[in-house]
Parts: sequence; C-alpha cells; structure tokens
Amino acid sequence: MGKESGLERVLVVSATTLKSIPEAPLPPVLKAKTLPTVVVQASKGWLRPDFRAIWDYRELLYFLVWRDVKVRYKQTAIGAAWAICQPLLTMMIFAVIFGRFAKIPSNNVPYPIFALAGLLPWTYFSQSITRSGGSLVADANLIRRIYFPRLIIPASAVVAPLVDLALSFLILLVMMAWYRVVPDWAVLTLPLFICLAVCAALGVSLWLSALNVRYRDVGHAIPFLVQFWMYASPIAYPLSLIPRRWHVLYSLNPMVAVVEGFRWGLLGKGSPELEAILTGTVVALVLLLSGLVFFKRMERSFADIV
Amino acid sequence: MSDLAIRALHLAKEYKIGEAQHNTLRDQFMAGVKSLFKRSEEKRRKDRFWALHDVSFDIKKGEMVGIIGHNGAGKSTLLKILSRITEPTHGRAEIHGRVGSLLEVGTGFHFELTGRENVYLYGAILGMTKAEIDRKFKKIVEFSEIEQFLDTAVKHYSSGMYVRLAFAVAAHLDPEILLIDEVLSVGDLAFQRKCMEQARSLRESGSTVIVVSHNMFSIKAMCDRVIYLSHGKVLADGPPGEVISLYEKDILGGAGELDTPHWAQARLGSDPTQRVVVITDMQILNEGGERRTVFNFGERGRVRIKYELRQSIKNLNFVVALIRSDGVACCNYSSELDGFKIRVKPGDGAFEVLIPAIKLVADLYSVHVMVWDDKFQQLYGAQIGGSFHVRHELFNSHFGVYHESAEWFSPNTDQVGTAERSPIKVETH
Repeated sequence: MGKESGLERVLVVSATTLKSIPEAPLPPVLKAKTLPTVVVQASKGWLRPDFRAIWDYRELLYFLVWRDVKVRYKQTAIGAAWAICQPLLTMMIFAVIFGRFAKIPSNNVPYPIFALAGLLPWTYFSQSITRSGGSLVADANLIRRIYFPRLIIPASAVVAPLVDLALSFLILLVMMAWYRVVPDWAVLTLPLFICLAVCAALGVSLWLSALNVRYRDVGHAIPFLVQFWMYASPIAYPLSLIPRRWHVLYSLNPMVAVVEGFRWGLLGKGSPELEAILTGTVVALVLLLSGLVFFKRMERSFADIV
Repeated sequence: MSDLAIRALHLAKEYKIGEAQHNTLRDQFMAGVKSLFKRSEEKRRKDRFWALHDVSFDIKKGEMVGIIGHNGAGKSTLLKILSRITEPTHGRAEIHGRVGSLLEVGTGFHFELTGRENVYLYGAILGMTKAEIDRKFKKIVEFSEIEQFLDTAVKHYSSGMYVRLAFAVAAHLDPEILLIDEVLSVGDLAFQRKCMEQARSLRESGSTVIVVSHNMFSIKAMCDRVIYLSHGKVLADGPPGEVISLYEKDILGGAGELDTPHWAQARLGSDPTQRVVVITDMQILNEGGERRTVFNFGERGRVRIKYELRQSIKNLNFVVALIRSDGVACCNYSSELDGFKIRVKPGDGAFEVLIPAIKLVADLYSVHVMVWDDKFQQLYGAQIGGSFHVRHELFNSHFGVYHESAEWFSPNTDQVGTAERSPIKVETH
C-alpha cells in the first residue's frame, strides 16, 4: 500500500470493484494467426518423445540451467571455486594414495595430470546423475501445476554441470602447463567425448529421475551407484590394468569410453582404445534412446504421483 | 475457422487413493503379496475414485466461464486436464489456442533469486520467450508495484509482494485461453481490482477465460456462463444467476448429504450410518430462523441439528466448528464447554445452537458437526453439514481470521477524540 492511507484507498475501490465491470464489447476477430490445436487424451502404449514441444520450450531449458548455476553457489563463502575444489582435492587424494603409495601406472604421464584428466569427465557425470536423479521430485510443485515438457527438468540438471566442467577445465590447463604436457591434434576430438559424456549422463538421468518419481528408493541408491560406478571406470587407474579378456565386458560401461577418450584426446599418449570407445558409444546411445522412450511413458503420470 | 476454444468430450479421471499409492519398491511388493489373498475387484473399487465422470462441454472463443462446485467436485482436476498437466483416464479435450494456466501463482519462483531474476524464470516457466519478457518487463514491474525491491532476493519479500510480482508476470502472459484457479483472491482489494481489470481486458482482446472460484460474487460479476460441477459431473451449465442460485440452493438443502470430513475417515470410516451417532439433518439459519447461505459480517446465526443415537453414551459433547474454505478451523462451539447437557438415551434427538455475532472475515465457511466425549478423546461422529458465505466489503483473509475493533488511546490527552474521520462502520443487519 502506498503512502496515503491504505484503508481509505481500499474502501474507495471496494465500493466500485464489483459494479464497475461494464458489458464487454464483442470480442474482435482474432488475428489471422494459426492457432495450434491440442488434443488432450489418455495416451496409450510406447510413444516417441515429442521433440517439437521440447524445441518450443528450449528457452525454459536455458532458464532452468541458469537458475541451477546461479543458485548453486549462493550463500557460500568461496562460491564457484567449489566447482574447481572438488576434482582438485580428489586428485590430490588419488595422487597420494594411488600414485604414491599404490604406485599405479599412469600411461607415462605424471599421475596428478592422469588422475585429473579422468576426474573431470567423471565429476561431470556423477554430478549430472546425482542432481537429475532427484530433480523431478525437487520440482514437484512445478510438475503439479504447470504444463511443459517434463524432460526439460532432468535435461537442465545434465546441462548445468557443464559449467562446472568448463571451470575445472581451466585448472587442468594450468596443471598441464606446469607439467609441460602439450596436446597434439587429438585434442580436436575432445568435444566429441564431451558429447558422449552428455549422452551417457542424459540417458542414465532419464531412467533414474523417472524411476525416482515412482520409487523413492532410487534417491537412496544413487550415492552408492555413483561410488560403485567410479571404481568401475578407469579414473584412478588406466584401462591397461584390466586384463585383455575382460575388456569387452568392462567397456559396456560408457564412462570407460568417455574417460579413455578424454585422456587420449588431451594427453595424446599412445593410440586410442577404439574398441572400448565404439562399445561405449553404442551403449550410451542405447541408454539415451531407451531413456527417452521410458521417460515419455512415465511422464503422463508424473503430475498424479510425484 | 471455428469459433470454438475448448471442446471437452466425456472427460473422466480416475485417481488411486490411500493404500493404492506405492512409493517404494517394498510397498509395491507388499501390495502384490496382499492382493493374492484379497478379493481384488472389491479392493479395486475401494482404492479408486472418479474425480471426473463423463464431463462434456463446449466453450466458445471470448467466453468467460466460471466453474463452481463443492470441495472435491472435480474443479481443479478439470483445470489440470485442460492445462495438460495430467491426462484424462477417458475422453478427450480439444484446445484451440495458446493456454496460460494460473493454478497457483508463484510456483516456480526461486527464493534465492532476486525479483528481477524471478520475473524471467517464472515467465519462462509459464511459456514466455525471453524476448517477450524483455518487451513486457516494464509493464510487469509497474503492475506489481514493487519496483524498489526488484533486486532483492525474493526470500526477503513479504507474501503480499511475492504474490503481486507473481501475478504481474502471469497477467502479462497474453494467452488465448486463460485458466485461473482461485488466484483472484490474492492481495488487497485494490490489487484484486487490477487483476479483474486485467482479466477483463484479456477477454476484450478476444481471449477465453475460465475461472474456478468459491467466490460467488466475483463469479457473478465477471462471468457470462457458469458450469456447476458436483461429484465429477456437470450438474448445471448456463447463465451465472441461475446456476449460482441452484448451487446455493444445494448448499441450503445440504443436498441430502452430510459427508464425513477427510481427517475423520481414518477413525470413523466413510459411512456415517455405521456409527453410534448419525447427524441426520442440519440447517443453517439466521437469527430469525430463515435458511441462509450468506451472512453479513456481524450477524448472528443458528445451526439446527437433528441426530440419531444408536446406543446410550455418557457425556456426549456436540461440537459445531466453522472451517474456512482453505481448511483453517476458525472456531468451535462445544456443548460441553458451554455447559449444555444432551440427552443420552438412544433414539432421535435435536438441538439448536445460536452462535454469537459472526466476526469472521469474508470467505466461504463450512459447518462441521463433531461428536466427542467430554474430554475430547473419543470421537463418535463427524460430518460436514453445509456452508455459508460471510459478506464484507473490506475484511478478507488478508485482515486475519476475524475482525474486532479495538479501543485506541494516546498519552497525549488532547488528541483523544479528534479523529479526522469516523471509524469504518460495520454493517449489522
């Protein structure tokens, strides 16, 4: 209420509120614009995701990512430095325990660089699935009250950690300069492996976030899953440590392809493990496609059960 | 081009309730095991209910339609289907045009972000593009009247400021079809008036508006058609005057049903006829004994209750409670506390409560009758007997639950009695 007496203003208004609405004029003819017609009905069977609707809402994706990035380090003392600290501190622990004590080989590059190059894509991946796993439940209010393609929510949780990845990448560059590691032409393949990481993360996130709406068990299982998954990926150790005959089975884990590819592209030592990278790519795509279909199938009941 | 905005054909929505929802794998598993030992068809019927049942209507472009009905009549479910938040179980709805829905203003606001940031975030959630928000930003801020707090985090806002800003964004959505659920009751009257004007100007520009509200006055004032839903079905559909009076007649007559409130169902079951005390009839009357659905602020009312007692119970304690439409229990009148003894022999009985001047703010109140023992420990019965509106031009829920004048004094004695204007007169009829 303004500076004048609020009560007086309200009183004056109140007398006219209900009576002041005149007969509405006939509505003018709507602009000759094609109005989209939407049919709402029970959907049946397996469905294709509606990419058109997702494209229409791409700006919402942008704003949700922006919200996540903005809010994440609010009211923290060191702010976005956390994005750098997490992989950096883990690298130090790894360097001492695995590099110094356990003397794990590191493909002829200094162990800290070796570990950090694996930790960056891994931190991205684990952040993505941790954040997106509970994302639908966290935004339950939105889901219950406003329509938009629900896929935007886990998708934004997979895109937002890319900002952290970019920040911590700077540290990796500084470390590489310090250790005088110079990348060769293979560095050009790096964006491809980042894409692969996004595909794998989105695929897993779609499954987990949709399942978590129905079964909150998923939320409890995710921390364990992430821990297990890290040891099942060549982050603290090189792929060469795994016996040859297990390679096919081992590389069903798409993060093997991501981490190996990332390291090869950046540190450029040896030849890439093509077999592992191909297997991982196929698995990541299967996860993504099945995730999209599964999510679409679950999506229709989100508002009722979340 | 047809002039239809919405066509609903046989819309139906079934919900699972209570036990039928399984949120963890263990629950799901246990339910599976249980169902092996139970007659599943009967259980299925018990666990599910139809929030909407064969609802059909056409709404033309530019119409302003009000949807009314008792709590749980399916109004909100209908809006949820029309806004594509949930799918109907059967039937279909065709929607021609961009839909904006305001099922609760401000969901999607983030408390850590500033007002300015939230305008963009909320706008995007409601389906606006960034360019569109940029263009309307100035108008939105002007509408909300909170310019000076634009760069303050929303968590420091008062709830009034928060709602103003949220509504300001939503009001500038410019949809072709606008679905509104009760949001017109936000803010003070001046702000409400602005909201109504905005809805009217939307309509003048050819938009279709659908409003769900308990506020019959604003429905009557704004809408040119009203749909009355009851138990998931369309009971009436037509001009506001007729439909609203039908609705009010149903409230008056109690529609022959005295439902058990939700909270009491766990203790008493949902069927009143299985209990030791059944409220068979309840009437809401004014002081002079005429049936009423609307009371002016300050009026007294009577509640006339007939009941049937199946067993002899000592220390019966009848309680009449007034519950506001948002679920707030506003007051209780207890026969025990007021020292009134009620006959305890089995059979039919009746009594009347003359309630003191109603000082509750303008809103819809339902009257619940509960039967307790004298210690409020054992619940014998609980039923919802009907509802009434309280009318007042100023006092709404933003003025608190009830209003009573206070006496004002100043230490500076020569100021006493020099009020520049006379106090607001409270109408008492």
